Amino acid sequence: MNAKPPASVKGVEYWRSLAHLSDTPEMREMIGKEFPGYDVDDMLSPGSRRTFLKLAGASMALAGLTLSGCRRWPEEKLAPYSTNPRGRLPGAPEQYATAMEVGGVAMPLLVTSYDGRPIKIEGNPSHPLSWTIKDKIGAADSFSQASLLDMYDPARSREVKLADKATTWAAFTTFASKQFGAMKGNGEGFAILSEAADGPSVADMRKRFLDAYPKAKWVEYEPVGQEAALEGSKLAFGKAVRSYLHLDKASRVVLLDADVLGNHPAHIRYAADWSDRRRSADAGEMSRVFIAETSFSITGTVADVRLPVDPSRLYAIARAIAAKVGVAGVAGDEKLSDTEAKFVANAAADLKENGVVAGGGALSPAGHALVHAINEKIGGIGKTVTLHEDPAGDRPSHVKAIGDLAADMKAGKINTLLIIGGNPAYDAPADLDFANLLKQVATTIRLGLYEDETSKLCHWHLPRAHYLESWGDARAWDGSAGVVQPLIMPLFEGKSTIEVLAIVSGDSVTEGHEIIQRTWGTTLPKDGFDLAFRKVIEAGVAEGGTYPSAQVSVKAGQYPAADASQGFYLRFIPDSKAYDGRYANNGWLQETPDTLTKVVWDNPALLAKKDADAMGVATGDVIKIDVGGGSLEIAAYVLPGQPVGVITLPLGYGRTASGHIGDELGFYVNKVRTTQGFDVAAGAKVSKASGTYKLVMTQDHHIIDTIGFEGREMRIGEKNEGGLIIHETTFAEFKSDPKSAHPGPRKVGLQLFEEPDKGGYTNTHAWGMAIDMNSCIGCNACAVACQAENNIPIVGKVQSDYHREMAWLRIDRYFKGDVEDPTVEVVYQPMMCQHCENAPCEQVCPVGATVHDTEGLNTMVYNRCIGTRYCSNNCPYKVRRFNYLDYHSQDPRGNWAKPYPNIPDAQLNESIDPVQKMLFNPEVTVRMRGVMEKCTYCVQRIHNTTIAKRGQGEDVQDGDILTACQQTCPTQAIVFGNLNDKESKVSKLHKNNRSYAVLHEELDTRPRTKYLAKLRNPAEGEKKETVG
Amino acid sequence: MSESETTATKARAPGRFLFPRWINLIAPVGAVATIGGLLYATTIFAFGASPKTMAVGYAPDQPVRYSHALHAGKLGIDCRYCHNTVEKTAFASLPATQTCMNCHTKIWDKSPLLQPVRDSWTTGKPVEWVKIHNLANYVYFNHSAHVNHGVGCVECHSRIDRMDVVFQAAPLSMGWCLDCHRAPESHLRPKDVKITDMDWKHPENADEAAALGQKLKSEYQIHDTAYMTSCYTCHR
Repeated sequence: MNAKPPASVKGVEYWRSLAHLSDTPEMREMIGKEFPGYDVDDMLSPGSRRTFLKLAGASMALAGLTLSGCRRWPEEKLAPYSTNPRGRLPGAPEQYATAMEVGGVAMPLLVTSYDGRPIKIEGNPSHPLSWTIKDKIGAADSFSQASLLDMYDPARSREVKLADKATTWAAFTTFASKQFGAMKGNGEGFAILSEAADGPSVADMRKRFLDAYPKAKWVEYEPVGQEAALEGSKLAFGKAVRSYLHLDKASRVVLLDADVLGNHPAHIRYAADWSDRRRSADAGEMSRVFIAETSFSITGTVADVRLPVDPSRLYAIARAIAAKVGVAGVAGDEKLSDTEAKFVANAAADLKENGVVAGGGALSPAGHALVHAINEKIGGIGKTVTLHEDPAGDRPSHVKAIGDLAADMKAGKINTLLIIGGNPAYDAPADLDFANLLKQVATTIRLGLYEDETSKLCHWHLPRAHYLESWGDARAWDGSAGVVQPLIMPLFEGKSTIEVLAIVSGDSVTEGHEIIQRTWGTTLPKDGFDLAFRKVIEAGVAEGGTYPSAQVSVKAGQYPAADASQGFYLRFIPDSKAYDGRYANNGWLQETPDTLTKVVWDNPALLAKKDADAMGVATGDVIKIDVGGGSLEIAAYVLPGQPVGVITLPLGYGRTASGHIGDELGFYVNKVRTTQGFDVAAGAKVSKASGTYKLVMTQDHHIIDTIGFEGREMRIGEKNEGGLIIHETTFAEFKSDPKSAHPGPRKVGLQLFEEPDKGGYTNTHAWGMAIDMNSCIGCNACAVACQAENNIPIVGKVQSDYHREMAWLRIDRYFKGDVEDPTVEVVYQPMMCQHCENAPCEQVCPVGATVHDTEGLNTMVYNRCIGTRYCSNNCPYKVRRFNYLDYHSQDPRGNWAKPYPNIPDAQLNESIDPVQKMLFNPEVTVRMRGVMEKCTYCVQRIHNTTIAKRGQGEDVQDGDILTACQQTCPTQAIVFGNLNDKESKVSKLHKNNRSYAVLHEELDTRPRTKYLAKLRNPAEGEKKETVG
Repeated sequence: MSESETTATKARAPGRFLFPRWINLIAPVGAVATIGGLLYATTIFAFGASPKTMAVGYAPDQPVRYSHALHAGKLGIDCRYCHNTVEKTAFASLPATQTCMNCHTKIWDKSPLLQPVRDSWTTGKPVEWVKIHNLANYVYFNHSAHVNHGVGCVECHSRIDRMDVVFQAAPLSMGWCLDCHRAPESHLRPKDVKITDMDWKHPENADEAAALGQKLKSEYQIHDTAYMTSCYTCHR
């Protein structure tokens, strides 16, 4: 294991982490160990072995006791309906359209329900903001899919509380009629602080509330939003206007810190449209995306030309581009560095070819105004971007709104405060000291899913109904309104926003369904309302309800020159796992590795290699950040590609009352987030602090070890890791030589396994998959879909550190290029079981627990598996996962450092929380401890669809079966289907010029999954020299 | 013979190796172990696969003494009147209380035996029946896949129409499933025979039965044996 790695490993073209690249001794030890981070001697020490044997003996005795004289199975009950609901088939899944509102914008969804239990969330294929193929496939992001777990979260609040004592809704209603009855017609000192909510019914209830209490205030606050864009549109047009990009129509896209594929209310639509112009590469046309950004975003990772800059340079670049394209009133006086000048020149030149500019993130309102001016100048408005009226946009920005409210509270002008959702005590700007102000208000009422930081400081806490439990409505980014339909009765007696508003306003209609009927009665025709309303509910969206197009033109504006860069910039971004903290208690998200850092369960500060070297900081070291009086100690993560001088701080951690999963995780960065430095804070001082922090990153897990490298070198020679696993080329080279992505045929020196039966798989179906690395944006939607579909447990931070994460689908993120180069490139490769026809795992299983079926699936048979883990050891793709513990019943926050905790163990259904148990997909076995598992190509979907189709006497058509990952992929990067059908999409993709099978030529594994090589479309003079 | 020669010879000469005396026990111990092992294995398999272990004949007490012999047998109500999802879903659902009440609001509407049903009807709470045919959780049996392809109810459930109290008639073991999955021909019935018909008999003549089986197998497009015995066909 200590053998020196072969020379080529040193110079790998693609690398997963700085540790991997520098090939430290620790790294090599980690790769070589079977149980990294975990003392094998301790495991075998006599003490623990004796304990183990004793406990094992005890469990045998207990097993004997309980089994004697019993039937084999515990008695089970069947409970049919008293009255069967119309059309309901017990045991058959049903799908309902609904929507989830985040930050006031709806994410359209289609939810699958089994016998009344929602078990899977997908995108709504009838909604333009969600469909990837109209009326067939709807995509959803990782957050909306994982929100299902929130609904079944046992930590949710279950009762109305007054001064921390349980009481009832009736008690609150009585209180409300007395308290608010006295205020009727006035409402002086009464305020509602609400999370952003833009649905027609909330708007209507808000109007009724303000009618009942004319002097009351309605304040809207979100910690993450599109506020700068809103303010920018007011600057440019004199009124609030919403932009809607048409990336499917744009050949050239210039993004100024706009993470349109990752963090935008319409990112599913944008990603789908963007991918249209990537897939078209095979037809000889491909878009080019430029991005200048202040933090490495997922859009940045797939952009063709990327320029990491600090926030002041970002504005300077916006100004320079505006000057170049000839926006009136902008002087071309910016001093640009060579790289910046090249970027600006290329971007400005390219924009003329059907281009579009978009701003976001750290771009100031003035920058956004410039974006509009550029789009107008290049003639993009109406073509590549459309502008829409934003009726709800006529409001102060969120930061200003909560600042004004805090001032009122401080002045004692507020005596009654109702807080709807959000979590201001945790996420309001730190300088407002909101938590303390909250204590000074005479009466505080909180409606929330959890008894969180805010509820703990309020007098009343009201349990909120989850969106899957209550009626409501919401508007998507295009303004189209849809109904939020419940799939289950409230689990914990919660009430929705509109229902609580009805109580507060003393409304005569108090039931959610009736409230939305009343609202929709005003927009839908009176005649045949019932039918029209049902249609809206069924489709999840009302037709033709989008915001009208805005007839505006850019006013001549003042665009001051950019400030000089000052000190370190702090850039606050929503975390890819906890978002702004609202998903902190969601284990699925916590354990989905961050796209770029691959960190789980934490939010380290991201900083550039150059800055880290200057401070002598490495990943895991603690750094101290001082800004505007506040100070924060946080673990550092050295991220290649991070702009120099910018520290990115992901929000959402350091929660203290989120529930058991999310409490006391990570770092509370809101501590240094102020009204002045809300998205970006300037002038921070950063220094190395003492100590280190344990960060768990999955990036180096399952890496191929030194022996593997040597063996491969021996057999193949020359080529290094990257060339074998990742294939890529530029669009220009691809056009001249369609095979240019591939390194050419390699000789396999050694046939490891006997030849498989080549005559096989002539059945009707031969399942296969194609993954387009040119479309993949690493957004993690597939990973969460897989987790939900296949009952995959979470294991916790400690177990993740032992490389025991259970995710069947991982997204390998490779960096490419020089580590010091801030424009380092990234490639994503979703990796799951490849269903090799010549599968190495099958050769070594002593009990035949993994074998092939006749349609070419590599089957994993749980009831045969005895847990030798030979298969995992022999899998070159490292996609097999072993249940070391009974993870479904273990506490993921527990520290299971010892190898055999909790014996006789809790492999009983009863030990899984009864609420969470309802979430299981009944079509997939819940695996127990000691069993190997892996991607099955969603065999349950294959079989159920096949059985249903054959029952009707038909055969399965291409597109009938969608794997969970394919279904939710916003860019259609994953395609599954029948390889024996020559007309199927997947067959055609397998024959595509870009397609290749990972490690096939080296190991002769014959994978059923093929990858399509990545293409980059760099601008003139931006092409990188490739190593090796 | 010189002295050095003697030493060399001694060193080279193979000293006679003697097994220790206790090694003589190897034969009897080995024999006992072999016989014991065989006995153990036999016992385990015999008990493990015995009908008792497989719960053949399992007939638990149900909350209502419902008689299939009366309803399905004597009255001739089709199975699908109550188990109405059997052709559409994996699960052959139990009837809602409403289905019982379709008749029992008029017939036997005062019978104390039906009190639990009337309670369910008035309260809306389900009648909790005890599950009889219970498979392991990693087995995915699909009723619709069978009844839509010519496998009659009687093939697995036996003469339900003659059972006063329903019991498990077949062992429901994997071996039993595979018997049919390896040779489905002898368990298929023609399309013009009702799937729920308990009286229909396979042809008695072996040749005739085989010919019919082959014909039906292709008519119903039954998968080949390799597919039918793949692990993923039932386990996932």
